[in-house]
Amino acid sequence: MPDTPAIAVHDLRKLYGDKAAVDSLNLVVPRGCFFGFLGPNGAGKSTTIRMLTGLVPPSSGSIELLGMRLPDRELEIQQRIGLVPDESLLFDRLTGAEFLEFVGRMYGLARPTAVERAQSLLDLFELREKRKLIAEYSKGMRKRLAMAASLIHHPDLFLMDEPFEGVDAVGARLMKDILLDQVRRGATIFLTSHVLEVVERLCDRVAIIDKGKIVREGSMDELRGGTESLEDVFVRLVGAGREFHELEWLK
Amino acid sequence: MIRAILRAQWLSMRIFRLASGRRGALFSVIVAVLWYGFWTFLAAVAEELTAARGLRMQIETWLPAGLLGVFAYWQLAPLASATMGASLDLRKLLVYPVPRRSLFLVEILLRITTCAELLLLLTGAAIGLLRNPAFGGWRGLARVPLAVVLFAAFNLMLAAGLRNLIERLLSRKGIREAIALLLMLVGVLPRLLMVTGFAGRRIEHALPTAANPFWPWGAAAHCMLGLSTGVRPVAAAAVLAAWTAAAYLFGRWQFMRGLRFDFQAAQATVASAKSRPYAERLYRLPSLVLPDPLSAMVEKELRSLVRTPRFRLVFVMGFSFGLVVWLPMILRGRVTHSAVSGNFLAVVSLYALFLLAQVTYGNSFGFDGSAAQLYFLAPVAIWRALAAKNIAAAIFIFLEVAAVAAACSLLRLGISLRQIAEAFLVTAIAALYLLAVGNMSSVNYPRPMTAQRVSAGGGAARAQGLLFLLYPVALLPVFLAFLARYALDSEAAFYATLALAAALGVAIYWMAMESAVSSARTRRETILAELSRGEGPLVGD
Repeated sequence: MPDTPAIAVHDLRKLYGDKAAVDSLNLVVPRGCFFGFLGPNGAGKSTTIRMLTGLVPPSSGSIELLGMRLPDRELEIQQRIGLVPDESLLFDRLTGAEFLEFVGRMYGLARPTAVERAQSLLDLFELREKRKLIAEYSKGMRKRLAMAASLIHHPDLFLMDEPFEGVDAVGARLMKDILLDQVRRGATIFLTSHVLEVVERLCDRVAIIDKGKIVREGSMDELRGGTESLEDVFVRLVGAGREFHELEWLK
Repeated sequence: MIRAILRAQWLSMRIFRLASGRRGALFSVIVAVLWYGFWTFLAAVAEELTAARGLRMQIETWLPAGLLGVFAYWQLAPLASATMGASLDLRKLLVYPVPRRSLFLVEILLRITTCAELLLLLTGAAIGLLRNPAFGGWRGLARVPLAVVLFAAFNLMLAAGLRNLIERLLSRKGIREAIALLLMLVGVLPRLLMVTGFAGRRIEHALPTAANPFWPWGAAAHCMLGLSTGVRPVAAAAVLAAWTAAAYLFGRWQFMRGLRFDFQAAQATVASAKSRPYAERLYRLPSLVLPDPLSAMVEKELRSLVRTPRFRLVFVMGFSFGLVVWLPMILRGRVTHSAVSGNFLAVVSLYALFLLAQVTYGNSFGFDGSAAQLYFLAPVAIWRALAAKNIAAAIFIFLEVAAVAAACSLLRLGISLRQIAEAFLVTAIAALYLLAVGNMSSVNYPRPMTAQRVSAGGGAARAQGLLFLLYPVALLPVFLAFLARYALDSEAAFYATLALAAALGVAIYWMAMESAVSSARTRRETILAELSRGEGPLVGD
């Protein structure tokens, strides 16, 4: 395994006007790590992932993925990344099989290989309705398909924004098993999720971001300190007092 | 509640305007000034004509026909352009306890968005009549505006009803294209009858029919003209008020039916991709000549567009409506041998090329929505994505020309093989220029389009405005070639000019592609934000 980290981010900032969505972010994710990136809504998680994928240019700072610098070697990096973004990445007027084949070919797979892998993934994710357009998929099916698309070219690094959102328990279990298997083979996973139990069970390392800044980073054990749950730590760090009892009319 | 709805829409649009920046805002203003400037000019002409005392007889004869024209344009123009303007997105609003009559009122007001230019025209004519002493001059200050207001209200409510009716009909699989075609044929039928001579011989009989005070346009005209026509203005106003009330009832009835209509259920059968081995082979054709990932992207475009109701409707319009619109020219040309009749096929093909802009090359990423980010995430240079979309558009453009040629042959319009080849050639060269413009507009003015709703979610207004403005410029080289043919009476001059136009077109396409790629790189965040954005409580073009 190469000794460069899977993700190395230095002093990363993203400004929208005067407001910093991400502020002086420093992060190193070793290869083969299952990394959880947590934070409350609007903390800067999705913006960070969008910068890592090259969709959003940073205002300042540097990004290296798999030892290659963004944006200098963007196409090479993209070739080795698997993505499950927060927004739909799916073309509604294709069937699941057509979409997976299309994605495979976009990542340089020969058509027969793309077709074969697409069929295997559709079977694996139980998306076998061959003639059903993606427009008719449920939210969970769409997430499963996005997950399948991220796997088709066998990437080394996965960037996943809320991959389990809307997925049923069986589908989520399958996805978790696949991701753990990918980590075992040496792939790196960078994942955001609001389901802290999932993160607690899957991730080796965790960073918590709030208001654009990392407020805590470390291994799962370091964060929990042996006594607290991840949820306790998370709420203590970012969950400022929300006194709904003060709203008289709500009683 | 109405204010809350309109404010929410205003705020939704404000966010978009801020994202678009000053350049976009300036362009919108220029397009609006040109468009409404043109109609203001027409209104001024109408005002001058109706104010002319010496034209009394002509005004009495032609005003009802003019109002009939206004009525026809008001009701049919949204169909002809396949854009029906803004409307309430009931899926978002029905969850709130908003009185249905309030929603209907907003829906009616929104009909102004489709034909504001006609209000200008009516106002111009009304002012002219008020200035004309032959029709009572300013003594008609109550009568003339009342007629204009009632006539406008009649049209607004009828348009609201028709929109709801058509939207429901068009959402049904199978009959969508047929209904659209039928409506368009109805729209151009009068023109066709006139040119074929059927109605032309009876034009003098037809005008009094239009002036019949029992028609809404006739009643409006008599009310505006006063006693000079021999019809009491009060009686004419009463007839017009009755028509307006009927239009209100029709509009409200259709609106209520629309509220209860399940669009999803109607479209559910549309969504599945049928197994058609021949179609599958056609989709795979690009793979025979193009390398991956280009062929993968072309294939994806072909599949997606064919399954997109809005695209299918516009494609069918290209060779059906286009043919019918221009057919009178060829029929008249058999007598007069006009330039249009001699190049009928090329003219219809160029018209179809223009129509396809809104669903293909003018807003290339529109139907992809947020999924367009895949083009920026995959290890593929963005120029390949644009080129793939252009190739797919070109395939449909050539299919459109072939369909036009086939339709002409079926109608036995005497189209020769040379004319067919010429139509392909001319359209291909014009397409180079329009694809160049389309690539620029696709990255600079992207907007999400709704695949399911055939009457909503067109390309960005600015992108359409840009194409509208540049269309004559883009056609200029081809036009010059035809001019060379007729002026010099030389086929060699025609083909030499076409060759020059093609060479220039390739150069312009190349430069535009480089510029579009550069814009796509620097604006990718804005492009994706605009393609992913949701609408306000209204949907529209």
